Amino acid sequence: MQRTQRATRLLTGALALPLAGALIAGCSTTSDPSATEDLKPVAGGTLVYASGDAEPNCLDPHVGGNYPQALVASQFMESLFSKDAKGEIVPWLAEKSEVSEDGLTRTITLREGISFHDGTPLTAEAIKANIEHLQDPNTASSTGYLAVGKVTEITIVDELTAQLELSAPDNALLESLSMPWTAIQSPEGLKRDQAANCAAPAGTGPFKVESWDRQQAVNLVRYEDYAAPAADPERAGSTAHLDGITWRFIPEAASRYAALQSGEVDVIDNPQPDTIATAADSGLGHLAAPRPGASNRVELNSSKAPFDDASVREAFIRSLDVNTGIDALYFNTAERSYSLLSSVEPLGISAEEKFGTDVERANQLLDEAGWTERDAQGYRLKDGKRLSLSFPVSTNQSVPAEQSLFEQMQAAAKNVGIEVKIDLLDLSSWYGALAKHEYDLVSAPYTKVGPSVLRILFHSDSTVPAPSGYFANNAQIKNPQLDRLLVEAEQTNDEAKRAELYERAQQIVLDGYYVIPLYDQQNHFLFSKNVHGMGETTAVSSPTYFNVFLNK
Amino acid sequence: MSRTAKILGTVFILFWLLTALAPGLIAPGDPLAVDPAQAFHAPSLAHPMGTDESGRDVFTRVIHGAGDSLYIGLAATALGMGIALVLGTAAALAPRWLDGAILRVLEALYAVPSLLLALLIIAFTGPGVGPAIVAVGLSTAPGYARLVRSQIRSVKNSEMLEAATVLGRGTWLKVQNHLVPNALRPLLALVTLGIGQAVIWAAALSFLGLGTPPPAPEWGAMLSAGRTYLHLAWWLSFFPGLAIVVVAAGATLIGRSLGGKVNAA
Amino acid sequence: MLAWLGRKVGGALVVLWLVATAIFIGVRLIPGDPAEAIMGGPGSQASAEALAAARSEYGLDLPLITQYLMFLAKLIRLDFGTSYALKDPVLQVIAEVLPPTITLALISLAAAWLLSLIFAMLAMRATRAGQCVGNAVEIIAAAVPHFWLGAVLIMLFSSMLGWFPAVDNGTGAGLVLPVLTLALPLAGFLTQLMRDSLSTALGSQFALAARTRGESRLTVFWRHGLRHAALPALGLTGWAFSSLLSGAVVVEAIFARPGLGRSLLSAVLSRDIPMVTGIALFSALVYIVVMALTEAIERLIDPAGAES
Repeated sequence: MQRTQRATRLLTGALALPLAGALIAGCSTTSDPSATEDLKPVAGGTLVYASGDAEPNCLDPHVGGNYPQALVASQFMESLFSKDAKGEIVPWLAEKSEVSEDGLTRTITLREGISFHDGTPLTAEAIKANIEHLQDPNTASSTGYLAVGKVTEITIVDELTAQLELSAPDNALLESLSMPWTAIQSPEGLKRDQAANCAAPAGTGPFKVESWDRQQAVNLVRYEDYAAPAADPERAGSTAHLDGITWRFIPEAASRYAALQSGEVDVIDNPQPDTIATAADSGLGHLAAPRPGASNRVELNSSKAPFDDASVREAFIRSLDVNTGIDALYFNTAERSYSLLSSVEPLGISAEEKFGTDVERANQLLDEAGWTERDAQGYRLKDGKRLSLSFPVSTNQSVPAEQSLFEQMQAAAKNVGIEVKIDLLDLSSWYGALAKHEYDLVSAPYTKVGPSVLRILFHSDSTVPAPSGYFANNAQIKNPQLDRLLVEAEQTNDEAKRAELYERAQQIVLDGYYVIPLYDQQNHFLFSKNVHGMGETTAVSSPTYFNVFLNK
Repeated sequence: MSRTAKILGTVFILFWLLTALAPGLIAPGDPLAVDPAQAFHAPSLAHPMGTDESGRDVFTRVIHGAGDSLYIGLAATALGMGIALVLGTAAALAPRWLDGAILRVLEALYAVPSLLLALLIIAFTGPGVGPAIVAVGLSTAPGYARLVRSQIRSVKNSEMLEAATVLGRGTWLKVQNHLVPNALRPLLALVTLGIGQAVIWAAALSFLGLGTPPPAPEWGAMLSAGRTYLHLAWWLSFFPGLAIVVVAAGATLIGRSLGGKVNAA
Repeated sequence: MLAWLGRKVGGALVVLWLVATAIFIGVRLIPGDPAEAIMGGPGSQASAEALAAARSEYGLDLPLITQYLMFLAKLIRLDFGTSYALKDPVLQVIAEVLPPTITLALISLAAAWLLSLIFAMLAMRATRAGQCVGNAVEIIAAAVPHFWLGAVLIMLFSSMLGWFPAVDNGTGAGLVLPVLTLALPLAGFLTQLMRDSLSTALGSQFALAARTRGESRLTVFWRHGLRHAALPALGLTGWAFSSLLSGAVVVEAIFARPGLGRSLLSAVLSRDIPMVTGIALFSALVYIVVMALTEAIERLIDPAGAES
């Protein structure tokens, strides 16, 4: 094995030093009412967090792997890499990383002196144990599993160095390893049975899981042996300000907001757009942290009639007036997107001209496509069949404002003679409908760091269900040219070429009218005026509370 | 129950029956017509109950929602009463052992609280209007069935029936001429009371996201959608809620004027 | 008494057996693979191994009657299986969530009784117009859906006035709004009922006699009226408790309280059949116990009337 090692991305702690403070701020914006006063951090106090998401079944984000898990796990688990304010990948638990010239061997060296909550020191053994855990079918990982899909073998070089062998070059590997779904947990903890590890995973984060009272709260307490991020000299060697976090689940949006107003909780997520818009007037702080990866979008299933016809897809898109709806429903808290990628992804391209409303053109396209007759209710017919689209909507994944937006689409499509049948489903039935291909339209958010999310969403391989049963290419695009571009884009080590390949790939998807981008995946947080230091997030924009303090 | 209350209740129900059958007479608009630019308008002359998050007219929706909402309430009550008539009559007329068996079945149905029973059925069938009707119907059946049974038993043992037996009338004739009218009258009162409760339970299922799918203007679904905007636009949930209360209260008034007792609903 | 107890226990067992049987049939009626249904429905993405494990655990490849007997045998041993979603034994989860729901229901029941007593007493003293208003209030209270009332109470007393917490925080204050939400509609029912029987009782011969003996209106109310008014309302306790358990599903969701209702809702949404089975059986058991208790109390108050 004589491979010339070349440091394509030598990422050392020293390089990242100037980024101190805002290190993990990502691209989030925050309007902290206390920002003007320059308060000295106060230690102590327990922050009460109220989440609107369903309570996870497992606190280990390897298992399954959804955003609610990432939100809470970001407090007690850390990843090998993270993302800085400029959107660059920086080492976190790792100290540095190198890749071989052929791109098939990735060497990762860990920082020294870090230990897990259970006392186990962080060594190369942990990298091996964690990636193998993600790849073990019994873990039933879906997000992390895809992220480390190209890793074929992990060799331990020395105590702090591991070498990852890849099946193909992967310039997105560090991005993949910066996500909470691939966070590193204690190899000793992983040896427990899954239920035990789910209840209290042992990570390296500034807080650790003390207890989990189901339906009430996950109780997190400060980890006293925390090794603060190397890039933050001011906070080097210190621990979190807060004594702990009480992580509650309050599914009702109105109750959650009322609880924040009355001071029962300090931070809430998933606030209603109208409450975000009036947050400043109500004396509340607001943190907007759009998620990376894909934008929130509706996908058009091109694998079956009527959307196997590109002109019907275009006609549907042209019939809609999405912008007015977004303005009314989101109170200017969400900006219309015309891109497949989140606005935090530098390589995303925008195509506003594709999504303008043009009812006349929609009607013309449908006439030309042979949908000329109309039935008694005004819907178009072809060969006696109604132009009807089924749209399963998951109540877990689409907030009320988004569901209303879909209803408006339904009404707009009806004006050109297209019937849209919205089915509000629980998550299980929704996955079931997708698995059986019983959909023409679907909105399935996907968060991943970096543009390689495009391969997961639009490569023809993603139309084949993963072992877990999930497939991500909901538009069912099978385009060999697109496949080649996406594979090549992931393997090149030339940054400019990567950008160009991704641009061409996005153009193909946009030109084919497979997707209606709506807005960035919304990720808002409201907090009371006692909460200071909000704003830092992980690579997937989940807030972290290491630097947060309460001033009650 | 006073005469005024009786008249008031009847007027309420007649009004809602009219709206259910011909909503266009009262609100000629389209309850599904969206106009996003006109979202969240407070009640005004143009929109007496305001507009919702998609700019739909709430008044039009409440009026057009009467059909769906009352249909669920009526269908569930009819189903519950249908089951009750069969089981209750069978229990009353059957031999002791069968009577006991049926009573146990009723008790088992009764033992699982209504909404829990509804959720149980939905766990097996998945959500929707049909399961909601079946669920509410089944959960109200045992209450009705017990009354049917006790009514029929009291009539069965009454002098009237003895007289008919003495006169040598056939069993079927006895059922037809004596049991049905005497047992059914109190039931009618109970049914009116029950319709109001059925509308409320069906609305609760919609609230939990397990009833009528949006954007259909069913009251429970509207209430459920509107509560998200309670702080911003109270009228979205106030008026559908008011409609439910008015219907349920009206049904109670009529039921009581017919001599119904609240307890069996 | 012993014979009565024996009959009750026997009846309860039969009822539980019927509920269990209905659930068994229900699960088998779900279209598709019952193993998949047990693992959480079509969207569970259960692996082939997991399905095979479920099949052998529940004996799904055995004849139906064997499966049924296995199912009953497990229930008799109080083995409700493991919640596939929570990965904890069902019994343990229920043991955690049952007490808060029972507490909420009991306090709400007491509050409803108290409220309807106050209403009924006020109504006794009210003018005709006042009675009319009272009548309307009761009927409207009984017709208000829990979920709407809860949302309105939060808006009024938490957001606007700031008197009570909007969500459960483990203190007594956190209980106020959920209890009110459950108790007000129930109180509407109970008051209607109590007023009917109260006016009958107070209009009766012996009440009149007591008044002529010079006893005050209030004394008559307490000594004669209440006893007669309470009996039919007491007979309703089982029904009331059952309706409170239903209401708890909604109230627990709104006020973010842990409990049986919230567990059932999430179990239904995730098609967690072992959990659903366990909760259904336990709520039936709770109902049976409450019924037996009220019957016992009725026998104490009015030994003659209980045998109807």
